[in-house]
Amino acid sequence: MTNYKPAPWERNARLVFGLFLFTPVVFFIIFYIWPVIETIRLSFQSWDGLSPRRVDVGLRNYQVLLASPRFYHSLLNNVRWLVFYVLMPTGVGLGLALLVNSLSRGQGFFKLIYFLPYTLPPVAVAAIWRWLYEPSAGLLTRTLNEVGLGFLARNWIGEADTVTYSLMAAGLWWSVGFSFIVFFAGLRNLPLECLEAARIDGASAWQTFTKVTFPLLWPSTAIALGMSAVDAMRLFDIVWAMTGGGPAYASDVLATQMYDTAFGRLKMGEASAVSVAMLVISAVVIMPFIIYMARQVERAENDH
Amino acid sequence: MITSNVKWTRGPSAVVIAALFMTPIVVAINTSLKAPAEVLDVFSLPAVPYLTNYVQAWHQIGRTFFNSLMITVPGVALSVFLGAVAGFPLSQIKGRVGFIVYLFLLTGMLVPYQIVQIPLFSLMRNLGFHNTIPGMWLVHAAYGVPICTFFMRNFFASVPRSMFEAALIDGCGIATYFFKVLLPASTSGLAALSIIQSRAIWNDLLFAMTLTNNDNARPVTVALNALTSGLQVQHGVLMAATLISVLPVVISYLLFQKAFVAGVLGGSSK
Repeated sequence: MTNYKPAPWERNARLVFGLFLFTPVVFFIIFYIWPVIETIRLSFQSWDGLSPRRVDVGLRNYQVLLASPRFYHSLLNNVRWLVFYVLMPTGVGLGLALLVNSLSRGQGFFKLIYFLPYTLPPVAVAAIWRWLYEPSAGLLTRTLNEVGLGFLARNWIGEADTVTYSLMAAGLWWSVGFSFIVFFAGLRNLPLECLEAARIDGASAWQTFTKVTFPLLWPSTAIALGMSAVDAMRLFDIVWAMTGGGPAYASDVLATQMYDTAFGRLKMGEASAVSVAMLVISAVVIMPFIIYMARQVERAENDH
Repeated sequence: MITSNVKWTRGPSAVVIAALFMTPIVVAINTSLKAPAEVLDVFSLPAVPYLTNYVQAWHQIGRTFFNSLMITVPGVALSVFLGAVAGFPLSQIKGRVGFIVYLFLLTGMLVPYQIVQIPLFSLMRNLGFHNTIPGMWLVHAAYGVPICTFFMRNFFASVPRSMFEAALIDGCGIATYFFKVLLPASTSGLAALSIIQSRAIWNDLLFAMTLTNNDNARPVTVALNALTSGLQVQHGVLMAATLISVLPVVISYLLFQKAFVAGVLGGSSK
């Protein structure tokens, strides 16, 4: 790469490539870079979103935020979602992929079913699960009653101590298809020689999995974990459409708190302070993943 | 032997799990076909399919369903085109500059969309694009740039460079090569990306909530959300509306399952 010299016909390449990149880069600056800078600026101001006047308030928005229990509660919920999303869809997705991969018949059918929920709009998922969670006639309560466990039934998304777990179950159903398909593709691409060698050496199924299959699946695992972390930090639709962050902010995450503060209460400055907190936190969580992906791509191309 | 015992249970387990996965959808379909009096017994089947639910649901969200189509189709075309236009040079430029531009665009994948909503709302209102369908095209094209660029760059990088060089030696210009040779040869990549972009744009709730406020431009997701969180919920009508709103994505998934999966995998890995 270092001793690469442009051929004569590549002399105008720079200009043509520059023209190609112009529009996307301009879009990116207008719709990503500028709004982020503007949000940071707004977080030091007070504004109702409509009046032409924006008042500088220094650090007050951050002080208000750091003194409000709602913020810590949202943050804690994001952390819970992060832990849940990193462990559950990834773990269950891996399990399902191993299961389907081991079947001799019907792989296509099960793949179709397990991946289906991931294609649905989160709003539709929310509408369906709100009905399943309906406290008296919903499927969950009715099933518990039917098998004699009715005392366990509750107002699944109407009670503060169950609401986030109820949302997580819906989130798992919706998102597990992604990890499943990533692991399934990873399993199909495993070098058969390695598995064969392990079998000939007399490795048990468990040993084969922990010593051969799982390490070879690392690229798939990294993707599934990374994307789950991204989703957990961005989480909005499922919570907003199912509970709006309620009851009494119990299921709030940073994104719903921000949206409610901005467009519900028209406190753009405070909402921007929440945004900045989200940006910083997701940068810390997601940056290693982005760097890892970029390196992977570079390495893969240098191998060829 | 333990393993052979376990092996025997695999097929049945897969079937049971599949049944669990389908349960919410089956309940939704069943409920959508019930008369109001039947709805509250979730286990029962409808005496006769009660299609009035669908008529009422269509009455409430039909307009927004067309808005969604009008937003999604051009939105997908624009965003995929922008991704291809940005991905092509980035797949050819070797060395520092290309990599830095690429990383610069990729940082967009790190930005949670919520944090741009306030400035975006002001921007679109000042441009006169608030509550318009073309405004939604613009927004979805712009916010698709990172993922589409990432996807198309990696796709083009897998096209042999000799093809590019041969075309140039034959006297074909770079732009001509891109439009006449590379794009027509990349249909599988473009199709896969189009499918996942359709899913993303059709399913979007956040941008639509910020940027639309009535049925002139409101997509079906926002209308469904309003129905869901309404105080007086008619479960039969709501499930019918839900099923109508998922129909296009589910049909495209069933028809183009391969491209769908390829898109999901290509957008995250490679």
